[in-house]
Order: sequence, then structure tokens, then C-alpha cells
Amino acid sequence: MVNKEANIDLLFRNGLRDLEVLPPAEAWDNILPVIRRRQRPVILLRSAAVAAILLSISFLAYKWSREFSITPVNPFSAYENAVQPVDNPLQGRAARQLPFVVNNLTEQRTGYILAENRTVPVAASEENIPQPSVTYADVPENTISSDNIGIPVLASSATGLRYKTTVMDAGFRMPAETYYDIPAEKQKRWSVYAGASPDYYMRPGLNNTEVPDQIYQSEQSRISYSGGIGFAYKINRKLSIQSGIYYASVGNEVAGINSFAGFRPFDQTKGDHNFVVVTASGRIYTDNSDVFLRDISGDRVLTRYTNDVFDPVKSDLSYLSNSLYQNFSYLEMPFILRYKLIDKSIDFNLIGGLAYNFLVSNNVHTVIDGSRYNVGKTEGLNPILVSSSMGMGIEYNISDKFSLNLEPTFRYYLNPFGDMPGVKIHPYSFGVFSGLSFKF
Amino acid sequence: MPDIINIIKGCLAGSRRDQELLYRRHAAKLYAVCLQYSGNDDEARDILQEGFIKIFENLIHYKNEGSFEGWMRRIVVNTALEKYRSKHNLYRVDDIDAIPEPDASPETDDYSGLEAGDLLMIIRDLPPKYRMVFNLYAIEGYSHKEISQMINISEGTSKSNLSRARIILQKKVSLYTGVNKKVISG
Repeated sequence: MVNKEANIDLLFRNGLRDLEVLPPAEAWDNILPVIRRRQRPVILLRSAAVAAILLSISFLAYKWSREFSITPVNPFSAYENAVQPVDNPLQGRAARQLPFVVNNLTEQRTGYILAENRTVPVAASEENIPQPSVTYADVPENTISSDNIGIPVLASSATGLRYKTTVMDAGFRMPAETYYDIPAEKQKRWSVYAGASPDYYMRPGLNNTEVPDQIYQSEQSRISYSGGIGFAYKINRKLSIQSGIYYASVGNEVAGINSFAGFRPFDQTKGDHNFVVVTASGRIYTDNSDVFLRDISGDRVLTRYTNDVFDPVKSDLSYLSNSLYQNFSYLEMPFILRYKLIDKSIDFNLIGGLAYNFLVSNNVHTVIDGSRYNVGKTEGLNPILVSSSMGMGIEYNISDKFSLNLEPTFRYYLNPFGDMPGVKIHPYSFGVFSGLSFKF
Repeated sequence: MPDIINIIKGCLAGSRRDQELLYRRHAAKLYAVCLQYSGNDDEARDILQEGFIKIFENLIHYKNEGSFEGWMRRIVVNTALEKYRSKHNLYRVDDIDAIPEPDASPETDDYSGLEAGDLLMIIRDLPPKYRMVFNLYAIEGYSHKEISQMINISEGTSKSNLSRARIILQKKVSLYTGVNKKVISG
């Protein structure tokens, strides 16, 4: 008998092993739109992140190219009227190579660019033209040199000695190592900022038993958001530390749970917890006695009102939806280090740090005709989450005090959302923070 | 022909071509699994569609360990299970006595006349509870303990359902082979 049983098993196992049957042609047509639709949020976020980065790089490149290629404008033009012409006793080519003393003049103009009695080779020409046109000719040969300062100078094709301003033109660059010459200026070390970010939460796969996997697969994160205010302190030119307080809202959709309204007249119990729904984040306990829940594809709903006890359709309950929506709100306190990679009109920063997220509210609702219908709460959530974040910040300085920030940031949660046995989900999220900061 | 790893990478990158390639390459085999687990073609098509949607959604979790085909098959079987769980209360388990007795009861195990299509037809004729247990035990290789957890029945019920499924299958196979022999000898 045993052999016969084994034979029948083997007969079917081997006989069906390589069986192939062509599916109906419309099957693929029904699959494709669903997978395209579900991929869209990720594709949109990736596209947004790529677009933001490309836009920033393009803008940066444009700014740099402008600085290097446009016809320079005399930075001292505002002083030109105040500058006294200086007679040049020398004519001809030799005169171009003679040093020229610029006593007090530059100080008068800039207050700090050059120290007193520094010698500056000045380009000269045989013609005297009041407003000389400036070109890049001879740039490498002409450099204002002084103690610790090398200043490239543009040559003039016309007479230059009458106007010293022409020799110190837009080609002027202060080398980085000469910063110590700058008189101590009050640096803006503090800044406050405000901003917001859309966040997309993702969860890693589970290698668990069937039940948690079934729960996991029926849930999907919704696009969330965070926003708040903060402050930053600049430790030095490159490094700053920031903190603040953010409000973050995280959403989760639990699919496959049918909800009905109008259950209160049938509720014979005193307690409100008529239904418990097992989710990956914790257990949903209903606190609305008017709601009836039923799992259409599994055993996630725990209740005494099972299918054989109560039929919501026969009892004429109003159907609401086939999904539940969990909402978790957190107050977030980040501690972020920011390292400046590029310090220009557009700054690039590397950002990394930790954040403490304090759970401040959680509720579960379903939706009927666009309106929320309260269902209950999720129990078993971790009251404090710790997340690590890493990102790249792009900071555009609108003025000395104001700047715009764009920060694509990746965040990973170090502890799980909830204490569901067998399910330890450490979600991660991607968001693009944008905001405005004020330095003082 | 692109290998499966490249197709998976393409699917993960959102390539429609690779998604279709993956489907075309494996749909026929997985549809046979769906038919094996379902009583009618519409249900089999639904399982196939939902199964493939899950396959695409979970490709990112596939760790390239073990057979990719086996991984896909498990997803399809799980989808069939979910479908079964959502409907099993609606099914009525047929009485074994209602199944017609074969004309002859050959004691031989000569199944040479049976083709895969016949086996599929026979297994699909089983009552859903028996079909599910037989598929999970005899084809997929799950234990009664695992099956009892999967479809929320006791181990005893699982064993009993398997035993009844075997009896029905044995009778039907005998019927088929008996008819074939009659046709051949007649």
C-alpha cells in the first residue's frame, strides 16, 4: 500500500515536472500596467534625485565657466575717479618691465589688498588712452608680486601708466595662503534654517517564515514627508555641526484588509478591541466599535467575529475600502556633521550623522470617498527610533546671509519600527531636503 | 541570448523589454503550476498574473542563491495558497463515495499510457482541499506540519486529505489506464 502511495506521488511529480502550457495572451497585458504603476514612485524619486544633481552640476559648471571666460570687468572701477594719474617718465618696451611703486594707493582702494610700499610691475604702452581696453595678452608675464602675494596682471594694449587701475584687473586672484593678510573680519558662524523634504521609505526583504513574509508582502510604504527648523554652528571653514527639530510623518498601506462601517449595532461586547490586525510594524487594535475588518487573503485579522460567525454583506454593513493606512508621526532631533567639499557661490557638502526620532502620534484609518475613517492604533511600536543618515548637500548662496539648500539624503534606521516577533524591519528612506538658511 | 542575471538586472532597472523577456521565458512553465493548483482556467490566469507581479516586485530580494526558477515557483505556489485561503470556505469537499468507480480495478502500476496533460486533468479534478494538500506534499515536498500551518488545518486533517486525494487519484488513474487498455486491446 505504501509503495502504491509513493508510486502515485512519483507518477504525478515526475509527470508534471516539465509540463508547460502557454498562458492566455492577455495575461501579460494585465501584468505590465500593474508593475509599471508600482515602479513609478521609485522611478520618479530616482529621476528627481538625478535631475537635482545634474542641475546643480550644470549650474556650477556654468558659474565656473563664466568666471574664467567672460571679459573681465575692472573691480576697481568704482575708485577710478578717485585715482590720481601718475606720470610715467619712461616710454617704450623697457618701461613695461620696470617695477612701479604703488604707495598707499591700493590701500586706499581696497583697504587690505596690498600692504604699503609693495612693488608692482605694471604694464605700459606707448600710447596714452584714457580708457584702455583690457585684454588677456601677456598675462603670464605680468604679475603683481610682493611679500607672499602673486597677483596676475592683465596687460593693456594702450597706455596703462596713467591709470593704475588697469593693471589690477579682473585677473586678480588672491591665493588661498594669503588669507592671513585679511584683517580679522567677523565670521558668520551661526545659521538657522527651515526646510522640508518628501521621503520615500523602503524596507529590505525578509528571510523569515511564511507568515511574516505574507504580512510583509501585503504592505507598502507611502510617500512621507518631514519638515522643521534647525541651527548650525560652523566649527571652521570646512566643518559645521547642525541640529534642530523636525516633524516627520511616515505612512504605510496594509492591503487586502476589507473594512466595513455600521458594525456597532451588532457589537455585543463591551470592549472596543473587536479586531486585531497583525502587521509588520506591530498590531493594529481597533478603537472604533463601528468598524468591521476582514482579511481577504490570509489570517492577519484576529477576531471572534470570524466568517462563520458574522457576514458583513448579509448584515448590510457599508463597505469602505480594502486597505488600511497606518500613520506614524515622529519628532526628530538630528545631530549632523557637514563637511564642505567646495566653497564657492555654490557649496557642496558631505553630510552625515544620527537622528533620534520620538514617536508622538500613531493612528490607523481607512478611506471612504476621499475622507478618513478612523480605525484604531498600532501597538508595539518602538517609541524611539535611531536613524543614521548620509547625503550630499548643495548650498547656493543667494547673498552673504541667505542661502538655498538642496540635500539628497539616504537614511537607515538602526532599530526596527516595531516589536513584532520574528519581524525586524530596519527601513531605509531616501529624501530630498530643500530649505533656506540664514547666517549670522 | 541574455542570461538570467542580465535579465534580472534589466528588470530591476525598469527595462520593459527585460520584463517581457522574463515573462515569455518562464510563463508557460509557471502557468502549468497555476493550472495544477486551480480548478478552472480563470483562477489559474489570476494566479499567474498575481504571481508575476509579486515576482517583479520582489526581484530586488532575490539573492542569486539557488535556482531562480525554483524561487519563482515558490512565489506562484504561495500566490495559489493565498487564493485558496481566501476562498476555501466557499468550496465543498466532494464525498469520495460520489466519485464513480472504474469499470475495472487493475492491480498493475502500468501508467505508461498517461501523458502529462492527462495527469494535469486528473489532478485538477480533485476537490480543492485534497488537491492543495496533495500538491504541497507530493509535488512540492512540504511536511504535514508545514502544510497544516500553511492552510490552517490540523496535521491529522492534512494526512487524511492526502490519503483521500491518493485514493481518488489512484482510482482515476486506473480508470484512465483501464480505458486506454480497453481502447488498445479492443
